Amino acid sequence: MTGTQPPSDAAPGPATAQARLAALDQRLGDPWDSGNPLGFTAVLEADERAEMFADGESALDAYGLNAEFVPVAHGGRLTRVDHLVEIMRTVYRRDPCLGLGYGFSSFISSVNVWTAADPDQQRQVAAILLRGGKIAAAYHELAHGNDMARTDFQALPSGAGRLLLNGRKEVVTNIQRSDAMVMFARTDARQGSRSHSQVLVEKDRVADGKMSYLPRFASAGMRGVQLGGVEFRDCPLPEHRVLGNLGQGLETMLKSFQITRTTLVGMFTGALDTGLRTTLRHVHDRRLYGRTAAELPQVRSTLAGVFLDLLMSEVFATVSTRALHLVPAETGIYAQAVKYFVSKTLIDAMNRLSGVLGAHFYIRDPHSTNAIFQKMLRDIQPAGFGHIARSVCQMSLLQQLPLLARRSWQPGVPAPDDLFRLDADLPPMPFDRLAVSAGGRERLSSSLAAGLQALSADDPAHREVRRLAEGFVTDLAALAEECSRLPVTELAVDASSHSYDLTARYTTILVAAACYETWRHNQHHPDPFWRDPTWLIAVLHRLSAPAGAVRAPLPEHIERHLFAELTERHEAGQGFGINKNGLPAG
Amino acid sequence: MSTSAVENQADGRSTEDLRAWLTQCVALHVQLTPEQIKPDVPLTDYGLDSIYALTVASEIEDHLGIDLDPTVMWNHPTIDDLVGFLTEPEQTA
Ligand SMILES: Cc1cc2nc3c(=O)[nH]c(=O)nc-3n(C[C@H](O)[C@H](O)[C@H](O)COP(=O)(O)OP(=O)(O)OC[C@H]3O[C@@H](n4cnc5c(N)ncnc54)[C@H](O)[C@@H]3O)c2cc1C
Repeated sequence: MTGTQPPSDAAPGPATAQARLAALDQRLGDPWDSGNPLGFTAVLEADERAEMFADGESALDAYGLNAEFVPVAHGGRLTRVDHLVEIMRTVYRRDPCLGLGYGFSSFISSVNVWTAADPDQQRQVAAILLRGGKIAAAYHELAHGNDMARTDFQALPSGAGRLLLNGRKEVVTNIQRSDAMVMFARTDARQGSRSHSQVLVEKDRVADGKMSYLPRFASAGMRGVQLGGVEFRDCPLPEHRVLGNLGQGLETMLKSFQITRTTLVGMFTGALDTGLRTTLRHVHDRRLYGRTAAELPQVRSTLAGVFLDLLMSEVFATVSTRALHLVPAETGIYAQAVKYFVSKTLIDAMNRLSGVLGAHFYIRDPHSTNAIFQKMLRDIQPAGFGHIARSVCQMSLLQQLPLLARRSWQPGVPAPDDLFRLDADLPPMPFDRLAVSAGGRERLSSSLAAGLQALSADDPAHREVRRLAEGFVTDLAALAEECSRLPVTELAVDASSHSYDLTARYTTILVAAACYETWRHNQHHPDPFWRDPTWLIAVLHRLSAPAGAVRAPLPEHIERHLFAELTERHEAGQGFGINKNGLPAG
Repeated sequence: MSTSAVENQADGRSTEDLRAWLTQCVALHVQLTPEQIKPDVPLTDYGLDSIYALTVASEIEDHLGIDLDPTVMWNHPTIDDLVGFLTEPEQTA
């Protein structure tokens, strides 16, 4: 697929996001049906060959997935990023290689373009995507990892309105088969924060002999994804191929990656959904000691805990994704917190599930019913290190803690209600209102204390919510006190691990606030599960364990409640996340 | 009629105070003494990273009681540039 063939029935596609989601689901069919050419057996066979799943790519071409990445103003279907996440979850549930290798890498590069490029460039990029093409996001160089400011790849001005491309990019998704690349390049030889820019390189305009590809990088997971590299030697590029102004690169990256980092982990929850479903199917079939494994209390407890982790991750990711639309000035904080928290929660949960599957998680035969699990376990790992390492997110949060303590952690104006109301519509994504830094200003954490006033003193469940939630309110005050005294030397990369742990405490408070406020603002939800406070009590309980401590088991009645919901959804073939029946109407 | 943020300070802090405060602020972060920071050398040369520079911009805001673009230190990469910019008459409180 190089995008030269227009996808057959890509545009315009069904109108509403709900309809599109249903159409995609229907097109992909039952993953467990071994006769389905788009089912897990076929997915696994492609993975064994370390190839992209060709039939899956054709199905996504036919659905027109690329149109989901293109704003409506440019002829695509993108208005709400949370809808995009839900649609991509469907893809990640089937095959994360399709998620990343068909879709997400083009989304990363195009978000740079919607955020910073001029209208002409935006039109060009929209045209490439809408005809089914791919655009690689070429940021990474092996020599520098996450340290983007050290990027060596050059696009230095060489006079007469030209840049000269020189150097390499390595381990980049689709770099060889893409039609174009957004490349992060040094446009000024000096050190500094205005020394880089993104350049848009359309392959068919590259002069002969100036660009060559490096051999493919084989990978442990995401094996189908074509990771490659490219090398340029004195390749001229017109200066108007720079996205935005020369030297704006770091700024564009910091803005646009708030969208992509928040949404990437939000999509990866689809892999855990499949991991959980695989495990449930197994324990219901597996007979041990004269009963099914699903009847063992220890097994139920693990499954209920994983279900809770999935819900909690999706609630936090959803609030943070809605924030991109509603409070873009604050999302510099939430994006880091989501990437840090959700990725680890998902990976830990997958690891616990592997314990339940036992030897069966180790089986790789594509025809075995559980083999999809080992693929999901491998494929989910980039949620933690890909597109920025968790610890780098932690570092960025750490540097802002004293400022947050001073500017945000006192009682103040709470976040807007629509951040949490799942049925409230969202304005189109305001790419032009993203801020390079939140400047230590966010309203989610202090919303918790304000929101607790809504609890009734008579209802025992409400009293339990209050008891648990007040722990986080108290901890925020303690954190404010501690962070306001943090010496500057503790805000650099060589900070002690105690200081890094402060960011873990802070992130936990953000998650608690997101979950509490989501519960409080959805008391009209059609599904009683979301109105009932039991899931919330479970979340708060789970988050209350100090970082690194062994978690106390959930109270038995709560575990039973969660396991019953999980079973019901499993039997009904529903999703395990925040939208069990696809997207809510509205 | 407006004067610079620095002169606007109720306690009448001078440009030199601002320079000393900024130098101290950066020196602490990069673990050097203020004397080691030359006013005309880009602060990134001393190891001040781009992301932390955004945080320092907020520190300056709070110190002077003004609003700044978070990238102020990216655009004014030396102490001299920064002090020059912050003492321009347009930088009103
Ligand atoms: C499947 C896959 C797809 C990819 N696709 C693309 C793509 O499309 N485009 C692209 O440009 N790249 C892509 N990459 C490259 C990927 O983004 C990089 O490998 C990654 O961002 C850099 O990771 P690293 O582990 O080398 O980082 P390093 O920076 O070497 O970090 C290593 C470790 O050091 C620690 N560390 C680093 N910095 C800090 C800090 N500030 N504070 C504390 N600890 C720190 C962390 O523990 C970190 O995990 C892909 C990689 C994979 C595996």
